[in-house]
Amino acid sequence: MPDVSTALSRPTPLPRRGLERLDLMLLCAEALDLNGGEAMVWMSEQLGYQSLFPNRVELWKRRCHNPLRRSTRRGQLQVQDTDALIRILSAMAERLYPMVRQLLSAAEPESVSEQRWALFRSRLQELIEERLNLRRVGVRKLLDPSEGPQLCHQLILSLALCAGNGGVERLKASLLDPEP
Amino acid sequence: MIKLSHRYEQISCRLTVEGFPDVSSGQGSQAIGILTGWSLALAGHTELEGKRDHLEALLQVVAPYARHLISGAPRAFGDPVSPVAVHPDGSRHRLELRSSQPNTPPMALHLDDAELADLVRCLDQLLLDPRLQLNLQAPTPQPLRRSELRKRVPLGRRIAAPLCGMAALGLAGAVSWMVPIPKPGSFNPTEGKGTSSVAAPGNSSSSGKSAVQEKTPTPGKTATPGKTAAPGPAEAPAPAPQAQTSQETGTRPGSSPTPR
Repeated sequence: MPDVSTALSRPTPLPRRGLERLDLMLLCAEALDLNGGEAMVWMSEQLGYQSLFPNRVELWKRRCHNPLRRSTRRGQLQVQDTDALIRILSAMAERLYPMVRQLLSAAEPESVSEQRWALFRSRLQELIEERLNLRRVGVRKLLDPSEGPQLCHQLILSLALCAGNGGVERLKASLLDPEP
Repeated sequence: MIKLSHRYEQISCRLTVEGFPDVSSGQGSQAIGILTGWSLALAGHTELEGKRDHLEALLQVVAPYARHLISGAPRAFGDPVSPVAVHPDGSRHRLELRSSQPNTPPMALHLDDAELADLVRCLDQLLLDPRLQLNLQAPTPQPLRRSELRKRVPLGRRIAAPLCGMAALGLAGAVSWMVPIPKPGSFNPTEGKGTSSVAAPGNSSSSGKSAVQEKTPTPGKTATPGKTAAPGPAEAPAPAPQAQTSQETGTRPGSSPTPR
């Protein structure tokens, strides 16, 4: 178990759960934005990660380290790769913040909010069925009608709190959480 | 000197800080090094104002609360006497503010997730603004401890494994207690060996039995009263090979086996 006090001061690779959550949050960003895959590549270029992710295949290969993926890749992801993915996710969350906020707001009319959540969940479900291994318990929980909405809400709340430069360290710290 | 004012805005939140540059430490004309006051306007709530201590107290509770919330393990921050406290309240978040002036009741604000996210983003902007050179103390985000994350798992799932383990142990103990313990001396390994060695080679059980009858020394048959003059070694149960030899060879009438 990594020492909690010094976990962020030295480069620590993300644990398995952290990789799962990072890829799921990127998947949520894609579900919010229909052109999310392209936006991710564009954001990577904007942040200066051309050397790390010269094309979308390289980006996809890094994301395939998620153990929940259909075609998962073995081995440890480098710290610089995970840091780059975290920064891309925070930048995308900042760009999508108005949509994320609408989903989380209690001031919105109940029917409108339900429609938005239903649309988001249906898009996320399509992406999950396309890319993730449906036999994994974590994936089945996401698709479960009783547990799924709560997990989706937690993912969207995490996206809202990691948006922008101020959210990068917060998100990184949460992805380094140990297994309960 | 002109008072400077910087504003950080989100949809439902507006944070304004006012102050002066600290010229003595060589700060630029647009930097705020001396904070004279700040105000926080949350949509639908009363506008809050305070000094540097109150802003630091707000940062000390809201930043770690957001850190716990992003991990899905919300918990209360701020004790009952601190100027600012925040704790989860159902699907909302209760922000309590206590005035330093006497006889002033604490103010409670109920924020939803979106309003809390707005507040957190405003505070992030404040901390990252290079124009603010106030050296505000805000806790650095750190990974949570395992004990802090344990509450995220439901109680039933947490105690299921130990309960199953204890039940399996009890069941195994009960089954082993029901098996009778063999008494000392009830098991004779030589008897078992003899029976198995004789019964195993024969195809029929009758041949096995005859073999036992032939080989087992019978004192009554060997030592016939009147035909044997003296009790010889045939009467003695041991040694068995000698008794067997005498029976197989046959004792002729009138001849008595004489012990040598």
